[in-house]
Amino acid sequence: MRLLALALLGLVLIGPWLAPFDPLDQDLLALNHPPGAAHWLGTDHLGRDVLSRLLAGAGTTLAVAALGTTLALLVGGLAGIVLSGLGRGAEWLGFAIIDTLRGLPPLLLGLVALAAMGPGLSPLVLALGLSFAPLFAHVARTARRREEAADYIAAAVVSGAGPWRVLVRHTLPNAAGPMVTLAAITLPRCVVTESVLSFLGLGAAPDAPTWGRMAADAARLAEAAPHALLVPVAAIALATAACAALGDAVRRRVDPRRA
Amino acid sequence: MRRALGILATGAAQGLAITFGLFLLFGAIPGDVVDVLASAGDLDDAQQMALRAELGLDQPAWRRFLAWLAAALGGDLGTSQRFAQPVGPMLWEAAGVTLQLGALSGALGIVLAFGLCLAQAAGSRAARLAVEAINLWSIALPTFCIGVAALLLFSVWLGWLPAIGGLLAPVVILGLDNAGQLAKPLSEEVAEVAARPHVMAARARGLTPLWLARWHILPLAAPVAVSLTGVMLAGLLGGTLTMELLFGLPGMGALVLNGIQGRDQPVVLAGLVAAALAIVLVNALTALVQSVLDPRQ
Repeated sequence: MRLLALALLGLVLIGPWLAPFDPLDQDLLALNHPPGAAHWLGTDHLGRDVLSRLLAGAGTTLAVAALGTTLALLVGGLAGIVLSGLGRGAEWLGFAIIDTLRGLPPLLLGLVALAAMGPGLSPLVLALGLSFAPLFAHVARTARRREEAADYIAAAVVSGAGPWRVLVRHTLPNAAGPMVTLAAITLPRCVVTESVLSFLGLGAAPDAPTWGRMAADAARLAEAAPHALLVPVAAIALATAACAALGDAVRRRVDPRRA
Repeated sequence: MRRALGILATGAAQGLAITFGLFLLFGAIPGDVVDVLASAGDLDDAQQMALRAELGLDQPAWRRFLAWLAAALGGDLGTSQRFAQPVGPMLWEAAGVTLQLGALSGALGIVLAFGLCLAQAAGSRAARLAVEAINLWSIALPTFCIGVAALLLFSVWLGWLPAIGGLLAPVVILGLDNAGQLAKPLSEEVAEVAARPHVMAARARGLTPLWLARWHILPLAAPVAVSLTGVMLAGLLGGTLTMELLFGLPGMGALVLNGIQGRDQPVVLAGLVAAALAIVLVNALTALVQSVLDPRQ
């Protein structure tokens, strides 16, 4: 599985150079062709080469998921750390809001954010980041509380370390483990959420070849060109499985106590 | 008792806050009705002001929210801009479909997960393997992908199920996924409780396995089981949304999505509020049951 993840990453990096056709090129004389010698994975309802679109979409799909996860980590982590240092009232209010959002499924939050912002790639990244941020905020606060109750922090404070130094030198490095663990779990969830949102027509613009968008286009014509639907969906499943395996490996490395 | 009241108050406050947030996002926009009319070119500034005042659109957002809330509590959720019919009955009909799908797949997931868990606790190796397999299945294979594959296999290639409107495939797919999320942590919790000293002591006293399970393991594992089930039920809504779209079921997800695509704000607002409130309710109920099962804290 880890090999699969590496292979996937390689494909994302060199995929655009491997693509035999332009992913947006329409060949109206070759609509819905099944996989064959000219088009290895066939063509879709507009005569576009499925393999080329798959390769072009790999980068977009995984970049959106990775950026969304990073955004969630930064926004959520920052909110959790800052709010938990602001004093009781602000922390209570901030976490009342965060806990309310945390109770809702990320897919619903992403749907709301995209419905409010309109479709597109940047709104998609933003929606993913905001949907998963509440989880990170919660973990950040828990980690900070646990660390700051520890004796070594008390020792640092007694020997004259200021709150800023405690935060940067002691709390953050120790809170990083759970945060990275959560990020590793979040990445495959972002891949799926992105695909579903794009499939629902809320994510990427129609001509941007993300996998979810490809599946959405092909789903309406599943009987004429089942391969055009099966290929992106299989890619999504493979990418999810690979990201999940990678995430599990990261979790074991970073957080050996809970492995 | 105080704790139960606190849970209910928190749930109510969360529901109100979410409803207000959604109203700000989606309910404030129909204020542009006047802009639309004005862009047709027939209204001067004074007439626009007068019309806004007449429709109540010059009021601050919280006032309009209260007006909307009062109407909604009275059963009036506004009128669909696209279909020119009241939103309430549309929502009611769609909610029925979603509830049916959610209840059936949730029940399947719970029965399957608890059944496997019991079998594993009783020492079945097949059950242990099944728990691992189903857990891997739900992590690695999103319901969305399985749904598409099932649609292709059964409906397009084999021609077995009706592709549109059939409940069987979505229920099984969601149910398996739910069971996968639930079975692994549940069985880990049961194994952990079963390894505790008090269970060992009880076993040493020669109590029957059934007695052990009922009086020594279940009470300790129940709070975790309930909270896992609650998380699963709250997440179920995302799954039903995907399934409704794939299999053409006229549920809440389809209603809201069509609303978003058709810029039908009253429908979008009502649908999202209903969905969010359902989840808040599930979360609050989970917390309540937990507070009964685990009176510490």
